Amino acid sequence: MSVKYIPVQWNQNKWIYDAVMLIGVVAFLYIFLFVTPDILSHDYRINPQVHNARAFGACAFLMLTVILCIGPLARIDKRFLPLLYNRRHFGVMTTFVALSHASYIINWYFAFARSDKYEALLFANTSYTQIAGFPFEVFGVFALTTLLILAATSHDFWLKFLTPPVWKRLHSLIYVAYVAIVAHVSLGILQDQQNHVFSFIFMAGALLVAGLHAYAAWWQWRGGDSRGTVRDGWLTVGNIGEIEDGLAKIKVLPNGDRVAVFNQAGKLSAISNACAHQNGPLGEGRILDCLVTCPWHGFQYNVTDGRSPAPFTEMVPTFNLRLRGADIEVHTDPNPPGTYVEPVPLPQLQPVETLA
Amino acid sequence: MSDKNTPFFVGYLPSPGPLRWFLMTTIGLFIATFVSAGLFIGATQDAPMPSGFRFDYGPQTVTGVIELTPYPILRVTQGNELIQEGKTLMLAGQGKNGIDQRVMEADGQLRSITGIVLQRGTIDMLQVDGRARGVVDVEGTAPPMETVPLGRWSLAGEICDGKCLYGAMRPGTGLAHRACAALCLIGDVPPVFVSSQPIEGSDFMLITGPDGTVLPRAAYDFIGQFVSLEGDLERRGDVMILRIDPQTMELTAG
Ligand code: HEM
Ligand code: FES
Repeated sequence: MSVKYIPVQWNQNKWIYDAVMLIGVVAFLYIFLFVTPDILSHDYRINPQVHNARAFGACAFLMLTVILCIGPLARIDKRFLPLLYNRRHFGVMTTFVALSHASYIINWYFAFARSDKYEALLFANTSYTQIAGFPFEVFGVFALTTLLILAATSHDFWLKFLTPPVWKRLHSLIYVAYVAIVAHVSLGILQDQQNHVFSFIFMAGALLVAGLHAYAAWWQWRGGDSRGTVRDGWLTVGNIGEIEDGLAKIKVLPNGDRVAVFNQAGKLSAISNACAHQNGPLGEGRILDCLVTCPWHGFQYNVTDGRSPAPFTEMVPTFNLRLRGADIEVHTDPNPPGTYVEPVPLPQLQPVETLA
Repeated sequence: MSDKNTPFFVGYLPSPGPLRWFLMTTIGLFIATFVSAGLFIGATQDAPMPSGFRFDYGPQTVTGVIELTPYPILRVTQGNELIQEGKTLMLAGQGKNGIDQRVMEADGQLRSITGIVLQRGTIDMLQVDGRARGVVDVEGTAPPMETVPLGRWSLAGEICDGKCLYGAMRPGTGLAHRACAALCLIGDVPPVFVSSQPIEGSDFMLITGPDGTVLPRAAYDFIGQFVSLEGDLERRGDVMILRIDPQTMELTAG
């Protein structure tokens, strides 16, 4: 995790993930580039440069659509969480595909002129005040620039350097980029087609992304983590029988942060719900081998002090707990990250199951 | 809150059994999506217009009278097997360039031109060879050439660059190609108008500004879109020339 930075920490699941992704992308491009020209069998063929540009553009769009569907899917059904696991590699690959699209275009439509092709990108069409004939390429330039920045800062080094909140905010620019691509295509090729199969697939993709996000937001709002009632700085979490061994209950603190109260072998401990890695929801994770394991990328923490086991150095804040009758209560002020808190034993010890 | 029965995935551990089936199905769907999208999008691309370079003919050399409209055309007086006497050719340079500089002094004079044919239907353009043999002075006096005025016309169609319309690029028209067409026109490639209705047997014509000027900048905002405009039409051999009235250009619904 964080002992030292190596480019990628490979493991078997990452290999499978990347292999599947690569097979999908290569299949798409191979079919589009080498199979469909013969199916089309136009008397006068589309220039290969344009055909290639379209293949890579459509592929990048499809990849980004899939990437943006993974988040809400994982919120709606936890079984999709593994798709989140290595999404960054997917993003980096999309950037390369989009870059190929742009370079085919620039080396064709913007080349062969007296002027520099990159300058031409900016001055060839300046009808910024009209919708029809708007220089839709600028949306592509914006999206590509964003993708390049995100790909360059995708490594955990940048996550640490920028701090997770800043990194997260930077990387949510992906949504702005996606909207820009929708504009890029809507004002460009969609205005220009006789055959509407691409238009249909394109709109279905964009609507799916929007629809899934709306649905996941509603889903979370309906079944989301509840706010507890607070009295004298103590927040009621729930009843003593409520938390299963190895799992947690999440509550929203008055300041909007979340606390996760875990039951480990009949003893309660509370830590911040936000993983030190990328704010993953620790309370939706499990205790494996006595360690809280984040559902997103598997970072682990000792539940009593919020520290990752050596040699790792991540820490999350802990919280003080108490029982009041049958109620579990947590103090609303977090302890500094890594502070040990004595676990609170549950009154009747429940039958102990271990996951090991 | 999650419950114990949902399988829990940890990236660096092998996935639990039931989850493995779920993931296999997801992987299958993922690959099927990419395969079918590649096939459907790729196999439904519009056919470009029938036009293109004729490198297969090899370089052609013909002699004729240069006329500056101001975009140069060649009215062939001494043809060859492929390009007969009496034909009119639009002329362009290599890349996104016209050949204005090379024939500036040649209005109404004889020149021998060598280049590659660009063909669209029965009307041709020559991409003039970039070397000295592309444009060669010819001794002799040029015969007078006829220009037939056809009056004022109101037309609907698309403004684009002649070279790409002749198939130097396929597709060579439309909005996706708009910036490219603008670069060609900035480079003095002859602009053309593709009319939605054939006029006097041809669906496209060379366009210029009023009174023998180049295409006005105002027209660039209309490239690649469906526009209506008015202008004075004339015929020179088998090429028609429309001197547009910039005030009359407006977007129309296709
Ligand atoms: C410098 C950046 C970019 C430029 C100059 C650019 C330019 C263009 C142009 C000129 C077209 C029309 C091509 C044609 O069909 O004739 C096009 C189409 C398209 N572009 Fe871009 N683009 C850029 C970046 C992007 C990016 C980053 C994406 C997506 C991730 C993208 C996605 C698409 C798609 C999906 C199409 C439609 C392809 C099709 O017809 O099947 N573009 N782009
Ligand atoms: S957010 Fe990445 S492991 Fe927790």
